[in-house]
Amino acid sequence: MATNNSKTLARMMVTPAVILLLIWMLIPLGMTIYFSFLDYNLFGDGENKFIGLLNYEFFLTDPAFVDSFFNTLILMTGVLFITLVGGTGLAILLDQAIYGRNIVRIMVLAPFFVMPTVSALVWKNMFMNPVNGIFAYISTTFGFEPIDFFTHIPLTSIIIIVSWQWLPFASLILLTAIQSLDREQLEAAELDGAGKFCRFRFMVLPHLSRAMTAVVLIETIFLLSIFAEIFVTTQGGPGNASTNITYLIYTQSLLEYDVGMGSAGGLIAVVLANIVAVFLMRMIGKNIEG
Amino acid sequence: MGSITLKQVTKSFDDNHVIRPLDLEIEEGEFVVFVGPSGCGKSTLLRIIAGLEDVTSGEISIDGADATHMPPGKRGLAMVFQSYALYPHMTVRNNIAFPLKRAKLEKNIIEQKVNQISNVLNLTDYLDRLPGQLSGGQRQRVAIGRAIVREPSAFLFDEPLSNLDASLRVNMRLEISQLHKDLKTTMIYVTHDQVEAMTMADKIVVLNAGKIEQIGSPLDLYDNPINKFVAGFIGSPKMNFITMTMDTNPEVDSIGVRPEHFNISDTEGTWKGTVGVAECLGSETYLYVQIPDIGQLTIRTDGNCPFKYGDTIFLSVDSENVYYFAKNGTCIPLD
Ligand SMILES: Nc1ncnc2c1ncn2[C@@H]1O[C@H](COP(=O)(O)OP(=O)(O)OP(=O)(O)O)[C@@H](O)[C@H]1O
Ligand SMILES: [Mg+2]
Repeated sequence: MATNNSKTLARMMVTPAVILLLIWMLIPLGMTIYFSFLDYNLFGDGENKFIGLLNYEFFLTDPAFVDSFFNTLILMTGVLFITLVGGTGLAILLDQAIYGRNIVRIMVLAPFFVMPTVSALVWKNMFMNPVNGIFAYISTTFGFEPIDFFTHIPLTSIIIIVSWQWLPFASLILLTAIQSLDREQLEAAELDGAGKFCRFRFMVLPHLSRAMTAVVLIETIFLLSIFAEIFVTTQGGPGNASTNITYLIYTQSLLEYDVGMGSAGGLIAVVLANIVAVFLMRMIGKNIEG
Repeated sequence: MGSITLKQVTKSFDDNHVIRPLDLEIEEGEFVVFVGPSGCGKSTLLRIIAGLEDVTSGEISIDGADATHMPPGKRGLAMVFQSYALYPHMTVRNNIAFPLKRAKLEKNIIEQKVNQISNVLNLTDYLDRLPGQLSGGQRQRVAIGRAIVREPSAFLFDEPLSNLDASLRVNMRLEISQLHKDLKTTMIYVTHDQVEAMTMADKIVVLNAGKIEQIGSPLDLYDNPINKFVAGFIGSPKMNFITMTMDTNPEVDSIGVRPEHFNISDTEGTWKGTVGVAECLGSETYLYVQIPDIGQLTIRTDGNCPFKYGDTIFLSVDSENVYYFAKNGTCIPLD
């Protein structure tokens, strides 16, 4: 978009879409904001009195809120870390000229096509089950006490499951990025006396930074709202040990049929997500521009 | 430092024999140019010397030591790629300093060397820019700077100037020649460009389909090509080949005459023809002359040439400027 002329034209072209999107989003948002100020319970007397910020106060002062806030962040950063590191490793492996490479690539992608509920169930019953799971079997074979994943390390277990789901996505994006790296650059570095690690550190990693940024931003959007995996496995427990904000809203509103409280929680989640997003953009956004 | 010997080197990609058994001796301080048609294996040969490709068989030695299986970083050679292969996310300064940092030199020595090199190559004003913010010629200079800063025992260039425009190419050609005079380091240079090959080389290696056709000094190849391929490849415009037999020597199958060796006359000569296109370059003129039964000949003559399209002219050639070729292409010395 170089000239003023093309800028104006571009603006006019996107206007209808923007207006449609605004209507699409503003009406639900407006209704949510409205509901969040009401004492609106589906089992209530139907009066739906205006109660000001009381819903917000209840949600924010709920002792579970702080827990779930930190759980959300831990879940997000844990999965991001595992998928970035693992994804880079897998991408490098998949980039090697190995026999049957295409089939391996498709197999690595497979977890991405499994629905979250299904993969959580598979992990819960086949891998992490303390009696029948494979991990339990391996532990007992070597004479160890099997780990009861969802009781003792519930959040870690969920991080493992979600990472497994997102690893293919990260690997795929990073693999395409690696493949676009100019081979002559690597050869030049090799001639300059850079070893394998050096080439990774100074050529591959900087080249991947943009793709990594994209992975972080896209994954964050989904990771902030993880629900199915928690619902299927731990139900947020034990206690609040694996409750994130999405799940907290579910327990606070849907289980109590409290629309007002749910709306308030939803809005708080939106604000928090925006804070995280702005923070992330600040931190790594310049990567995308550069 | 900087002598390279190849002994019976071959290279195949699967069934594709890119380099046939090949012997080559490159002496210390020489400027060697590889020329040959596209796909004949020039880049492959260069990459074999650099260590970026393994040989299929044969031996390479550098400075007398066996280097056949030495990793590229240990060979002490520097390469300048056609695409420059600069590190895009490092500033010019860091690009040039990269090999020194890998060699773990001290910080102040690195800085001193980088400054010195950038002075020599006129890069001082660009040291803090990224390669993406430089022009083609400046990038080329950075690539050369990155190569010379290590003080390698030999430089390898793979068509380094082919991405530059004509006038820059002339400048860079002179700069590289000057560099060779100053550094006196062995240089191996791959090019498609006749002028580059003729003007820069101490020794030209003519390659064809993975074989060496002839090795020699530029003028040696120009004056005494050993076969039709070399005769046709060295010199621009190309040598004219005329199929004919001779009574005195039954072996002769064709003769060759360089475009600059014809004598033109409008009254008499060996061949009579019609001028087709006449390309006037100011300093010289190329005439494309149609000769009945022979075909088209290219003639090179003075800038102020009176002939134009459609004129009838007569051509002849002095006997010492004629090359005779046998059926299999070898050049037959006649005296
Ligand atoms: N990695 C490779 N795998 C298979 N074949 C290759 C490979 N690299 C080169 N070749 C083949 O080897 C031959 C020589 O290639 P090379 O790049 O050395 O040619 P070149 O003389 O440098 O040509 P140009 O002047 O066009 O650069 C070509 O036929 C090419 O197809
Ligand atoms: Mg080449």
